Amino acid sequence: MNKTVLAAIIVTIAMLGFTYVAVGSAGGMGGEGDWVNKLAVLGAVVLVIITSFVVTKYVRQMQNDTATGKLAEENWDGIGEYKNELPFGWAVIFLGSIVWAMWYFLAGYPVNAYSQIGEYNEEVKAHDVKFEAEHKNMDPETLKEMGGSVFIVQCAPCHGLQADGINGKAANLTHRLDEKSVKHVINNGGNNFKTDYPGGMPPMLLQDPAQIDAVAKYVASGFKADDAAGKAAFLAGTCNTCHGENGEGMPSVAPKINGFDTAMVTTVLKDGKKGAIGAMPAFNNLTEAQVQALGAYVTDLSK
Amino acid sequence: MENRPLEYDYTVAKMFMLTTVLLGIVGMLVGVILAWELAFPAVNTIAGQGVAEYTNFSRLRPLHTDAVIFGFTVSGVFATWYYVGQRVLKVSMAESKFLMALGKLHFALYLLVVVAVVGSLLLGITTSKEYAEFEWPIDIAIVVVWVIWGLQIFGLIGIRREKSLYISVWYYIATFLGIAMLYLFNNMEIPTYFASGGIGAWYHSVSMYSGTNDALVQWWYGHNAVAFGFTVPIVAMIYYFLPKESGQAVYSYKLSLLAFWGLMFVYLWAGGHHLLFSTVPDWMQTMGSVFSVVLILPSWGSAINMLLTMKGEWQQVAASPLIKFMILASTFYMFSTLEGPIQAIKSVNALAHFTDWIVGHVHDGVLGWVAFMIMASLFHMAPRVFKREIYSKSLMNTQFWIQTLGVVLYFTSMWIAGITQGMMWRAHDEFGNLAYSFIDTVTVLHPYYTIRAVGGTLYLVGMFLFAYNMYKTMTSGRRVEESELQNASPMGA
Amino acid sequence: MFHWLEKRPFFFAVAVFVVIAFAGLIEILPNFAQASQPVVGTKPYSTLELAGRHVYIKNSCNACHSQLIRPFKSETDRYGHYSLSGEYAYDRPFLWGSKRTGPDLMRVGNYRTTDWHENHMKDPAAVVPGSIMPAYGWMFKNTADIDTAYAEQLTVQKVFAVPYNKEIPLADGSKATVALADSLEGAHASALEEAKVIAADMKDQDVKDAVAAGTIPEIVALIAYLNSLK
Ligand code: HEC
Ligand code: HEC
Ligand code: HEC
Ligand code: HEM
Ligand code: HEM
Ligand SMILES: [Ca+2]
Ligand SMILES: [Ca+2]
Ligand SMILES: [Cu+2]
Repeated sequence: MNKTVLAAIIVTIAMLGFTYVAVGSAGGMGGEGDWVNKLAVLGAVVLVIITSFVVTKYVRQMQNDTATGKLAEENWDGIGEYKNELPFGWAVIFLGSIVWAMWYFLAGYPVNAYSQIGEYNEEVKAHDVKFEAEHKNMDPETLKEMGGSVFIVQCAPCHGLQADGINGKAANLTHRLDEKSVKHVINNGGNNFKTDYPGGMPPMLLQDPAQIDAVAKYVASGFKADDAAGKAAFLAGTCNTCHGENGEGMPSVAPKINGFDTAMVTTVLKDGKKGAIGAMPAFNNLTEAQVQALGAYVTDLSK
Repeated sequence: MENRPLEYDYTVAKMFMLTTVLLGIVGMLVGVILAWELAFPAVNTIAGQGVAEYTNFSRLRPLHTDAVIFGFTVSGVFATWYYVGQRVLKVSMAESKFLMALGKLHFALYLLVVVAVVGSLLLGITTSKEYAEFEWPIDIAIVVVWVIWGLQIFGLIGIRREKSLYISVWYYIATFLGIAMLYLFNNMEIPTYFASGGIGAWYHSVSMYSGTNDALVQWWYGHNAVAFGFTVPIVAMIYYFLPKESGQAVYSYKLSLLAFWGLMFVYLWAGGHHLLFSTVPDWMQTMGSVFSVVLILPSWGSAINMLLTMKGEWQQVAASPLIKFMILASTFYMFSTLEGPIQAIKSVNALAHFTDWIVGHVHDGVLGWVAFMIMASLFHMAPRVFKREIYSKSLMNTQFWIQTLGVVLYFTSMWIAGITQGMMWRAHDEFGNLAYSFIDTVTVLHPYYTIRAVGGTLYLVGMFLFAYNMYKTMTSGRRVEESELQNASPMGA
Repeated sequence: MFHWLEKRPFFFAVAVFVVIAFAGLIEILPNFAQASQPVVGTKPYSTLELAGRHVYIKNSCNACHSQLIRPFKSETDRYGHYSLSGEYAYDRPFLWGSKRTGPDLMRVGNYRTTDWHENHMKDPAAVVPGSIMPAYGWMFKNTADIDTAYAEQLTVQKVFAVPYNKEIPLADGSKATVALADSLEGAHASALEEAKVIAADMKDQDVKDAVAAGTIPEIVALIAYLNSLK
């Protein structure tokens, strides 16, 4: 075999191999039946192969052929010009591509009545149908797993991969409340969760700094039964009338404050939250299943 | 008269050769810095926190693109015009005092624009439109520079002795007209200082077009800036320098003709491929896709014509690094003009758009084709304008291999990066949720960004070798006689 | 015929021009009138937001960030509803970008907040480990150019009839107006009002002090702009 052809084959194989390994190792994205991924890789493959072999064809002509033809009369700065015919393959493909383009634009495309939004709607529907079919009744473990995957994409940029709030930049979700947040809400009240708790929480139910400190410690450390001072201050502030004896919350009155549950997370996602730590945006374009999954996942974090 | 060799005057050509080399180095140095910044963000502050405003990736990126396009490439186009134009029209610039004076003015104004561009981009004065970042005062200066070039072209043509125009001249004329039209329309903007009665920054302007329309005009421009900046004038170069250096006649006039008019006709329609799946109407996007595929043929026509011109001349390719540069350039030209249409297919673009695969496509074109061809042209010109042989052939060979390796590292790494990134963005997990957070798709690219940076650095090293070789040619190459300059350029060991 | 043209540079040039101009007309003109209609809910930028947009442009954020959500599930999941042409009616220039080194920002105002941006712009890698985005510390010191933003507002109102001080229908049926001051002082005052709201959510003491003293650092304007992207 000719050296050049061999070189072309080697180049092709080397590049394909390299591409295959690298793309494959980036997370095994065969793209299960997804033709966009396949077409892209195919495009890259075709590109390397066609270029290598077409160029090899001409290199071989440089090696073995000789220049012939009738020269034109003119000549520019010593450069002559042959009156050779068009390379046959080129001419045919050029003509073919023009015919194809006209056909496609005038007939092929209008007949398909393609619309990118239509295609999008179909794509989304296909996903929904598949989800319904495969995950209609998820067990709690799977739900949590799904929540984790949504969390990494949507929530980790603020709460961190460990959900620890990245040094206080957002809420630490492995623990329901810190003292700072409790004090903040006692002093300022709160009305973030307008949908679920339209009344909000009034400010200044406690004013004595010592009492506030005590409640903050009590709530933040998770309603420890042996913290009598804390408990007393909690009752003094009438907190229990809304949040319940142990901070378990009451529907439509006040949220759970002794830990996370799905209702609490749902509320935060629906209305967002602005508190002592900062502001959390509302997430209204999550699906119901995703919200449930996040609820399960976040609740599990502090367990 | 007809028989006495003409004394061509290369004064202006030399000036633009200088800026080609200098701005090439500056532009690519900035490119290399960008590449390292993406691989290692600490490089953003390498010159100190205090000047990070001027050295960080985002402030420097437009400087890179504009320095290599409007600095390096356009200088190369001007330099070769001032050389090729005289020779194929058989007329010397020395024959017209007017053209000589205008040529020098052309260069002086060009320098002024370069300074203004560098200064304003570093200060962050930009309109944000890619490859059209300049504010209106610079636009006006650019138009003046361009008009002067037009006067040069048509002035020289006006006093030509060669009745019929050589292929290269067709392409130079098209470059002039194409860029003129595109630049004017894409830069329609209203200076706010005047419109508001003297408030705010005097140089600030607002685009005449908004939103989707602005995008449409921008990419009609952007795509064709590639056409008339990175393709048409470079084809002009190869049509002159390859046959001239090799002493071979152009393979086929018919092919030259069809490829030229085909390119002119098809190119403009393809701009829509930058706007696939955007808010531009479907039919316009489809038009962009379809014409992109057709565009393969007129593009390949010129490349094939050049490769066939070298039919039976393999010994020249093997022996001359100068011809190697040009043959590899046509190969990369074919490569990127097949790659582009593949990326223009809607389903491929769904993955490729916004990724590094596009950056890979850009650089196999510009490094492998544009820059190789410009450097080859300058190598061929040097012995003729300095009357000295090229200082070192082995240095040229070294440069060729270093830069080839650089290009290969650049585009292979960006391919993999781009396709990986594209797939990860699209990937859904078993629940139909996104499988990767955005940052996952960033960190995975680190090795490829590093390889690209290495490749780019190699290419830059090649640029320094090039500059050194040119400098030595100019100052200490062996003096040569006119008779040695017919075809193959004389080269020292 | 081509031989004839090749000997007649003038006609040659005309022929080239006609051939290239033709496609341009067909490619661009048909869309022009239609695409510039705003969709319901699209508001022009306030002075401070526009100044922030200038900061965004000055630093070429568009080199890494797109503002165009394509109609794919993978993009709408990540960034929100796909982009509509009319949403860009007041964008001069458009900022779609052509490279996503960082994520799309078309609707970043929906899922990021002032304090997050503050932390992130100061040191991206501290918030998102592994981020390759540069830190933009100088934005906390440079002063935003309110004058130029105001000049641009006046210009677009005058030349393109951008509806400042007019009622704009919103998606929920209500109306809103974006006020345009009638003097430069007025523009500064209203921008400062907006800036105070942003600064209240920020932690950087220098920024807070600057706003309290009546100057607006670039970062405040930028965040106002980012928050407006919805
Ligand atoms: C009138 C009913 C009511 C009373 C009394 C009340 N709360 Fe609340 N509390 C709420 C509501 C409603 C919320 C939800 C706040 C929101 O929407 O932002 C809440 C939220 C909280 C939170 C959570 C804040 C966060 O950052 O997640 C804490 C902690 C809290 N309350 C503690 C207390 C303490 C301590 C007391 C007593 C001093 C108290 N609450 C008394 C209604 C009440
Ligand atoms: C732009 C940043 C940001 C994003 C994105 C974000 N959060 Fe938050 N989140 C915060 C901040 C800041 C707080 C703290 C608010 C406060 O209490 O001051 C918070 C608070 C919370 C809380 C309340 C914690 C408590 O004990 O009161 C929950 C639950 C929560 N986030 C869940 C999520 C989930 C689930 C997601 C993803 C869907 C998410 N967050 C995305 C910034 C964010
Ligand atoms: C070198 C490329 C680069 C430049 C330049 C850059 N960014 Fe980024 N940006 C990133 C990357 C990568 C991310 C994703 C990682 C992260 O969040 O830091 C990002 C994330 C962001 C985000 C978070 C978006 C989200 O959905 O999480 C915002 C907002 C942002 N950038 C704004 C800006 C602004 C404003 C500028 C210009 C002043 C800018 N960026 C310049 C690369 C860049
Ligand atoms: C047949 C010829 C070509 C076609 C059809 C083509 C097509 C394309 C396509 C589809 C894109 C990507 C758009 C996107 O998704 O963002 C692109 C980008 C680009 N191409 Fe080509 N290409 C061709 C030849 C070339 C050549 C020869 C060069 C340079 C030497 C080049 C330079 C560029 C540049 C600079 C960009 C980036 C534009 C941006 O900033 O986004 N192209 N091209
Ligand atoms: C030493 C060689 C070079 C290196 C290392 C280099 C590096 C880079 C880098 C890092 C980028 C930014 C990519 C991104 O945003 O992700 C870039 C963009 C670009 N470069 Fe280069 N570059 C080099 C030479 C050139 C040359 C010679 C040209 C043109 C003649 C060129 C034209 C461009 C263009 C047009 C873009 C914009 C691409 C786009 O927007 O898609 N580069 N380059
Ligand atoms: Ca401009
Ligand atoms: Ca680009
Ligand atoms: Cu293009």
